[in-house]
Amino acid sequence: MFSKLNFRVILSALLILLGLIIAAVPENTTKPYKLTSGQMLEEIKSGTQFVQPDQVADMLINKDPYLQLIDVRSPEEFDQFHLPGAINVPLDNILSDQWTDILDQDVKMNVLYSNGTTHSNEAWMLIRQLGYGNNYVLEGGLNYWVETIMNPASPVSTNPGDEFARYDFRKGAGMALGAGAVAPSQQEGTSSAPKPTIATKIKKKKVASGGCS
Amino acid sequence: MGPLIVNEIISQNTNLLLAFFIGIGFGFVLEQAGFSSSRKLAGMFYGYDATVLKVFFTGAITAALGLLFFSLFGWIEMDYVFVNPTYLGSTIVGGIVMGLGFILGGFCPGTSFCGAAIGKIDALVFVGGLFIGIFIFAEGFPLWQNLYLSGFMGDITISKALNISPGLFVFLLILVAVGMFWVAEWAEKKFPREEY
Repeated sequence: MFSKLNFRVILSALLILLGLIIAAVPENTTKPYKLTSGQMLEEIKSGTQFVQPDQVADMLINKDPYLQLIDVRSPEEFDQFHLPGAINVPLDNILSDQWTDILDQDVKMNVLYSNGTTHSNEAWMLIRQLGYGNNYVLEGGLNYWVETIMNPASPVSTNPGDEFARYDFRKGAGMALGAGAVAPSQQEGTSSAPKPTIATKIKKKKVASGGCS
Repeated sequence: MGPLIVNEIISQNTNLLLAFFIGIGFGFVLEQAGFSSSRKLAGMFYGYDATVLKVFFTGAITAALGLLFFSLFGWIEMDYVFVNPTYLGSTIVGGIVMGLGFILGGFCPGTSFCGAAIGKIDALVFVGGLFIGIFIFAEGFPLWQNLYLSGFMGDITISKALNISPGLFVFLLILVAVGMFWVAEWAEKKFPREEY
């Protein structure tokens, strides 16, 4: 009887002691899921962080609420020119706490861009390694954007129909997004080439679900 | 590294397989603790047997301590752990209904299946009633939809609501639990029953 009681006292004391320890230590707020360099290399090799200018233009025109353009250039460059709806998160202080809510979220599709892709890709690598998802890089940056969307080269007449469709889309998108008005291309023979449908895929973080009764 | 599913360390199918084995283990432990006996469960309300309280509170504080220590060691990220959203209104009403059913029938949903598995007739009847209840709830859902969704508070936890650290809350919970164990054992001696 005594030893049984003693066992209960010891067990209770142990539980209370563990409780005291857990009450005294500070909460662990570090983010342990930083990607390893090996995982990073895999992601870079796969190149899935890049989105095509056509997709971004399509989302912009359709006013897709999931799209969030992020300009990682300096505030001066941002003031001179930026894509519609973009916000300025300069690469210099991308790790500052004030951007965490924007960069670490699972609702919107963040598309980072700079003049080329070097700075935007650097920014993407930094925040990806912190474990943030839903961040993408505009393929080719602003230079390629101007080249393809604002100033598309007209395809040669021997190109397949969807090339013309893409050209028409870019022309239209460029006009809608502020370039000069130009008449759409005419291709002989085929009158109505299908407009390329650009799938907008948004990666959603899986949410745990469960419960019991 | 955890939670395992959210971080895609294991697949949904592996998860279901694990749930299957954990379910078997859970049922086995319930049966071993004597939870397939409705008299033992009802003993909680009359004070002659507090096994239910001791088992469930031991389980709760063990799991709470385990989660917090795992989080401390960086083995689990608490942000990704599923927290059942709280609907205060329906929780209170549901708690009363469940408590009444518990004392009337002598089982809770889990233990009724446990009792049914070893062939107890009262448990089988209880399971039948459970399905009738589910049917009435589902068919009449528009009638109690407002009640069902009342008092929504989101994924709130008591420590968040009281603005204290989870560790402090668990410590207080352990104190309360140990106190309750002590009172329960005292009650078991105070209201003993020979055979049940």
